[in-house]
Amino acid sequence: MKNLIYIAILSGQLCSAQNWFPHSAVPLPEKRWDVGIFQPFRFGVSEKLEYSLHPLLFFVMPNLSIKLSHKDVGSWSTASRHGFFYPTPLLNMLTHEDKFGVISPEFDPIPRLLGLYSDWLMTGSLSPSTYLTIKTGLSAGISFGYLDERSSIDLPLVYHRLGVFYNKWALRLGVDLTGQIAKKLRFLVDGDAHVLPGFDGDLSLEHKGVLIWDKSEHFRLICGYKFVWGRFPFGTQARILPYIPMIETWVPFIDLQWTGTRI
Amino acid sequence: MTARIYKVLRSSPIGLFLFFLLSCEPFVNEFSDLSEAQMYTASSLTTVVVNNNPIVMTWNIRFGAARSPFFADSCGDSVILKKEHVEANMDKVAAKIREIDPDIILLQEVDIFSKRSGYVNQVQYLLDNTSMNYGCFASVWQADYIASDGIGRMNMGNAILSKYELSEAERIQLRLRTDQSDLVKYFYLRRNILKVRIPELDLYAVNIHATAFATDDTKQKHIGKYIEVLSEINTAGGRFVTGGDLNSLPPDCDAIDFCEYDMCSGENFHTSEVEPYHKEGSYFDNFPGEPEILQPLYDAYIPAIDSVENNSPEHFTHAPSTSYEHWEKKYDRKLDYLFTNLSGGWVQGTDSTYQSLWELSDHMPVAAALNTERN
Repeated sequence: MKNLIYIAILSGQLCSAQNWFPHSAVPLPEKRWDVGIFQPFRFGVSEKLEYSLHPLLFFVMPNLSIKLSHKDVGSWSTASRHGFFYPTPLLNMLTHEDKFGVISPEFDPIPRLLGLYSDWLMTGSLSPSTYLTIKTGLSAGISFGYLDERSSIDLPLVYHRLGVFYNKWALRLGVDLTGQIAKKLRFLVDGDAHVLPGFDGDLSLEHKGVLIWDKSEHFRLICGYKFVWGRFPFGTQARILPYIPMIETWVPFIDLQWTGTRI
Repeated sequence: MTARIYKVLRSSPIGLFLFFLLSCEPFVNEFSDLSEAQMYTASSLTTVVVNNNPIVMTWNIRFGAARSPFFADSCGDSVILKKEHVEANMDKVAAKIREIDPDIILLQEVDIFSKRSGYVNQVQYLLDNTSMNYGCFASVWQADYIASDGIGRMNMGNAILSKYELSEAERIQLRLRTDQSDLVKYFYLRRNILKVRIPELDLYAVNIHATAFATDDTKQKHIGKYIEVLSEINTAGGRFVTGGDLNSLPPDCDAIDFCEYDMCSGENFHTSEVEPYHKEGSYFDNFPGEPEILQPLYDAYIPAIDSVENNSPEHFTHAPSTSYEHWEKKYDRKLDYLFTNLSGGWVQGTDSTYQSLWELSDHMPVAAALNTERN
């Protein structure tokens, strides 16, 4: 049961680990915080600096990123984001025999792994309530020991994100479109590509569609889907997520988010 | 065909929506009672002249693992094999098939794009590296991911390869085990019978890999269904050759308990303080009549290896690692069989149990030539 929880956490948080919603090029205002069950905790340190980390995941996969606002380019806001994640403790917890052993124990222990990434974001207004964000970035995977390629987790979302440790580097590209539908209802659609040149399973394309209900100034509900298509060592695979095995059905992705201001 | 469907779907909004829906393929394929088998063709066809005495072979190739200490069926802890090792093993399997030169092969434990065997399509590999031209495949174990022991993506099954064209290939689902939890059962094997017609020989080929580890009456159900399928063909006047890994002992077998032969270090059996009492897959008296479960096949049809040889060590086909490591016995029981209902039976003197292929699997192939001339 414990391992099932870890797998759910890994799936949800990895799904959002490089999920930039609501990560536009505009940082949170100073002293403002924002957190969700599956979204990272973000805090506006100043008008130009924001940091974020995934609180649930932090204990098994330490992670941190900062977003720095830069000079506008024309009417486009710009920012860079830099971060790291350390997946080794979580991967070692999933490496065991019997049920919920996601990685074979013959690869135990997983070596110390450090993932680094940097992204460039640009956000522009298409209309008073509609924003387009374009993002591109590079990531690097450092292994402080031998990492057997056979230890990969060949599942959508996970394979290409952890693929950076086998391929050493990856390229990320994406586009977000957010807008207002009604006074308290917004939408987000996005598309992202993970490219691992030369890797066996070198490409993943992801698309997300969500509705955001701003119930109040401090609480919102998010509901949607994520579609992923990828090239894997066994061929290509497409899937709508979240998908529940045994019941064999897709269920909408739901997240609860809170926001506030530190006094 | 699938690629064309996807191309059409992606070209329109409704198509896109349907494309998304199609991405809800099951995580684990649970199969219907009767379904079509997957068909394969060799990349390059070999010219064939119809052989009136076609050689038929059955072989459980252990997914190209050869004698590797795979955790689930030996005392080892290996799970994910190196691709180059699997390819090297499959090279040797293909070489032996070319040497024996059968016309029809019934294969069990064949992997297609499974993580544990380096994502090799073993059906296509054998078609392209032997003189076999056509194949069909029926999954026994198909899942996006088996989250147990790190097994990962899995597609293992039964295959029939032939020099001659195949048609009407069917996958017949067998009953699932009842001695497992729902969660284990969901991710576990779904055994089947693979049946195909070979028009040029006016013959059906029927392949089975019966349950190995069930402690309930699942084996009884599997063999019962197998006999029923063969009887249907026979009653309708059809001709067949059949066989596979029945995971059952021949009638009048001298021994039915192999727990001590198969015991791994640290294991203990045959004491009331320890559960289970017998090692799964090593005891052949789990339900009334199990030791004689194959008698109806011997009564109704003609075995390739005569029943007088049932207890002959030179026809034992199963060679677990423990028998050799602990007892210096390479082969300890017969689990693999060939039968036919052809009136001419088998060509005398052509039957063989290829024990010399011990290095290539934990099962030895059985082969013989059919006498297809009608009496």
